[in-house]
Amino acid sequence: MIEVRALTKSFDDNTVLTDVSLSIAHGEVVGVIGPSGSGKSTLLRCINHLEQPDSGDIVIDGEVAYKDARGRSLSAAKIAETRGSVGMVFQHFYLFPHMTVLQNVCSGPRFVTKTDRRDYEQKAGELLERVGLSEKAHQYPEQLSGGQQQRVAIARALAMEPRAMLFDEPTSALDPELVGDVLAVMRTLADAGMTMVIVTHEMGFVRQVADRVLFMDEGRIVEDGTPEALFDRPQQERTRAFLSSILSHTGEAPLEQGAGK
Amino acid sequence: MFNPEMAQDALSTLLLGLLITVELTLLCGASSLVFGMFVALARMSHIRPLRLVVSGYVQLVRATPLLIQLIYIYYALPFVGIRLSPFMSAYLGLTLNVSAYLAEVYRSGIEAVPRGQRDAAAALGMRPSVIMARVVLPQGIRIVIPALGNYMVSLFKDTSLAAVITVQEMLFAGQIYAARTYDYFTIYTVVFVLYFAVGYPAIRLVMLLEKKVKRGYADRKRLLMTPTGDVAAMEVRP
Repeated sequence: MIEVRALTKSFDDNTVLTDVSLSIAHGEVVGVIGPSGSGKSTLLRCINHLEQPDSGDIVIDGEVAYKDARGRSLSAAKIAETRGSVGMVFQHFYLFPHMTVLQNVCSGPRFVTKTDRRDYEQKAGELLERVGLSEKAHQYPEQLSGGQQQRVAIARALAMEPRAMLFDEPTSALDPELVGDVLAVMRTLADAGMTMVIVTHEMGFVRQVADRVLFMDEGRIVEDGTPEALFDRPQQERTRAFLSSILSHTGEAPLEQGAGK
Repeated sequence: MFNPEMAQDALSTLLLGLLITVELTLLCGASSLVFGMFVALARMSHIRPLRLVVSGYVQLVRATPLLIQLIYIYYALPFVGIRLSPFMSAYLGLTLNVSAYLAEVYRSGIEAVPRGQRDAAAALGMRPSVIMARVVLPQGIRIVIPALGNYMVSLFKDTSLAAVITVQEMLFAGQIYAARTYDYFTIYTVVFVLYFAVGYPAIRLVMLLEKKVKRGYADRKRLLMTPTGDVAAMEVRP
């Protein structure tokens, strides 16, 4: 459903992604782990065209996205259309501070697809219920905790009825006690069959929820496998080094880390 | 020294002048708030010639004195066939001047909106124009409301320069009256007090707006903004 073909991206002299290829099946939940600066977030941002790759293609549902047949960039309107079909959740939520929670969730259908107001307001209400925040509908983001804001951000992305969801370190900016609620929402989403790509440091969550884990380092996918294979029997030396450095500073095994939540 | 009878006699003339001062302020203020926004957007346009022309205009205005701009429009332009009334000259000169400064203010507000806001809007599938109108401008304008207010107060004071091109605003009315009666002290004291009587509440209002903006979006009495930058209404949320 999402295919990444030979993606390369650099910022000035710094190469962030080197020839990254990857194929994600419909309904698959993919965890992306790796040290900071390894290109995980950039990969995600390229899938949604928030970054323009230097070379390579993003293919969504069999069609090359963001480019025409000759490889030229599509119009801003066409790019926006494709972006709207893939939801994205950011580390720092980026809720619109001048809109209420309900208005945030409605913003996609209201300003992009322009569906009927009663329809999208009703749907936004249902989504808020799903993330457990119905009673916050008329408050402003600044009145919510980080965990609540992130759940609103997830609802806002879901309101566009995306074909897939991209999560860019969704819990990294949260106080530890707020992480669980956000992960619970993501888990129900995964259980409901949503295609998801999750960049995260929550190893326990990845182990429990992901069908597949990618380990990235220095702009490349170093290892790609099931959570069991990657966490328990890492094939690459770099993967082992990364996992052991994580385990040594948390002092916990990945499974237990997530099981408590 | 101060002659109360003289002041009383002059008051009606001076109040008429004040009326013109306020009229000029409101007209130029409203026009500049709108036109300045267009200038700001044009300066960020993808169309290079438009960007060049508009930034040329902004530099020209900012690098020359307002007094000279007014004099030029009223006294020099007639020689190339552009003849405007004193009031129209003042309106045009002040609006062009203030708009150039407001454009810079708007631009700073737009640039102050975090990039993540655009990313989030783009990720939802909003087009660039929608992102600007629905996400960036409402936040950017709010940030600069106090600055816009200060420019409006400056404009109120700067309308006095229009006296030089014979607009019958308050300073000009005072000059005529003083020249006729030779009681410069009394007349200019009244003029001074009248400017203060309007200007002081205005700066208090700006300070109030500043506090409101700082208090955040969830404040009960909330400033509702239109995309053009006009303060549309004070809304009381239930």
